[in-house]
Amino acid sequence: MSDAFSIFQYQFFQHALAAAILTSVIAAMVGTYIVSRKIVFIGGGITHASFGGIGLAFYMGLNPFLGAAVFGVITALAIEWISQNGRVREDSAIAILWSLGMALGIIFVFMTPGYTPNLMSFLFGSILTVGRAEIYVLLVFAMLLMLLFALFYRPILFTAFDPEFARTKGIPVSRYRYMMSVVMALAIVLSIRTVGIILVLSMFTIPQITAMLFTRNFYRIMPLAAMWGIIGSVAGIMGAYLLDIPTSAAIIFFLTLQFLVIKIIMIIRNALIRNKG
Amino acid sequence: MKQPLIVIEAAATGYNSEVVLRDVGLTVYPDDFIGIIGPNGGGKTTLVKLILGLQPLFSGKVLFPSGKPRMGYLPQASQVDRSFPITVKELISSGMKSRNTLIPYLNAGQKQRLEEMIREAGLQRYANKPIGELSGGQLQKALLCRALIDDPQLLILDEPNTHVDKQFEQELYRWLKRLNQQMAILLVSHDIGTISPLIKSIACVNETLHYHPSNQISEEVLKVYHCPVDVIAHGPVPHRVLKSHDHE
Repeated sequence: MSDAFSIFQYQFFQHALAAAILTSVIAAMVGTYIVSRKIVFIGGGITHASFGGIGLAFYMGLNPFLGAAVFGVITALAIEWISQNGRVREDSAIAILWSLGMALGIIFVFMTPGYTPNLMSFLFGSILTVGRAEIYVLLVFAMLLMLLFALFYRPILFTAFDPEFARTKGIPVSRYRYMMSVVMALAIVLSIRTVGIILVLSMFTIPQITAMLFTRNFYRIMPLAAMWGIIGSVAGIMGAYLLDIPTSAAIIFFLTLQFLVIKIIMIIRNALIRNKG
Repeated sequence: MKQPLIVIEAAATGYNSEVVLRDVGLTVYPDDFIGIIGPNGGGKTTLVKLILGLQPLFSGKVLFPSGKPRMGYLPQASQVDRSFPITVKELISSGMKSRNTLIPYLNAGQKQRLEEMIREAGLQRYANKPIGELSGGQLQKALLCRALIDDPQLLILDEPNTHVDKQFEQELYRWLKRLNQQMAILLVSHDIGTISPLIKSIACVNETLHYHPSNQISEEVLKVYHCPVDVIAHGPVPHRVLKSHDHE
């Protein structure tokens, strides 16, 4: 067992833990918004469309995360615009942007001369190679998010819950919706580093639905989702190390396992209470 | 002569470029209680959304002669996502007009008003519970509190008596009777019969609007305007019995 803990003295592992914790906090706040509004599919669209930006950045020799952020934000804003003004079905528009992003990514990567060694790390994440600078970026973003929710909690909640009513009360609904679209896109793109494009959405949904087993209060779901996210991702990193399996997949596996175990315990407990009654 | 709250003149509105309502004229006075009736898809909800400023005005005018009145809005129950993780307290407080959204929390006066409202509705036990735990009637009560918390001059209710039990319905009517002493009320209902003793006038909406300045409405008038509503009947309690009739 001492072997398992000796890993903590390595800097790369400390960085991985810090990244997992910060990603969990970011995903907890933004994911609560996504799950509450039932817009997980929009999250999927943003995530996959950002791959187009990664491909383009590879092709142009730029920072892939910059490309992902630009594509992610543009996609998020486009989806919100379609949802507010569109004459195209929103779900179809999301599907188009989703697959177009992936297609562009594949084309650009194909056109990039030579081998693109980091490509897999974007698809599946590479938390063990996270550097100090990236942790600072995650830390600053997490703090900005906390400030945003502290200042605008009520309008964010009200415009998510009932935008029409919010508009009758003079809240600039459209502005808040666009702001949250940008926030969603940046949060998702920053989290790609931890678990990759393919798996990132689960960080924004599984801890939230786990938290919602305990509370249906938006304000309380956020810290609780952060807690379950941190427990699941740290367990995932440890599990990946001990079992020698890919870290991102292990994180998602542990997050899901955690949800299922709690859900089953609750079902059994409720059955016992019913039987006693 | 009383100053009207709202004057609508020859207004047209709709969705995208499709016109749903045309040539609508309506004047709402501060003590009005107008029942808005008409067939499904006739534009009843569109009309109230036009008044609330949620619908674009294609042509005509919507005027507020004494400034834009404070409006309280109770949307159709189907428009409310009951699984959304919002508490009863948060829901009701969302009816308070935020003059400055940069101040994220309620001030002492607002908090007191919120507590009063919750007490008045008898929702104290549920104040910190998510709305998903409320019954249909309790949710309507909370939504009505949200509409009333800002002391509106005009209360707009869209089908308030669907998905609720008889007990709540009776309570709602008592509330509305009292509220009408302080504010104008617009009530959209497909089932105007049960609520009509309270109503002072009727607006029949079916692509356009026909206003009847009394709550007495004859079968003949209904036939002319193709409104599928009831005619008056006598019974043990004041009520009207719905009677469908064909419309073109």
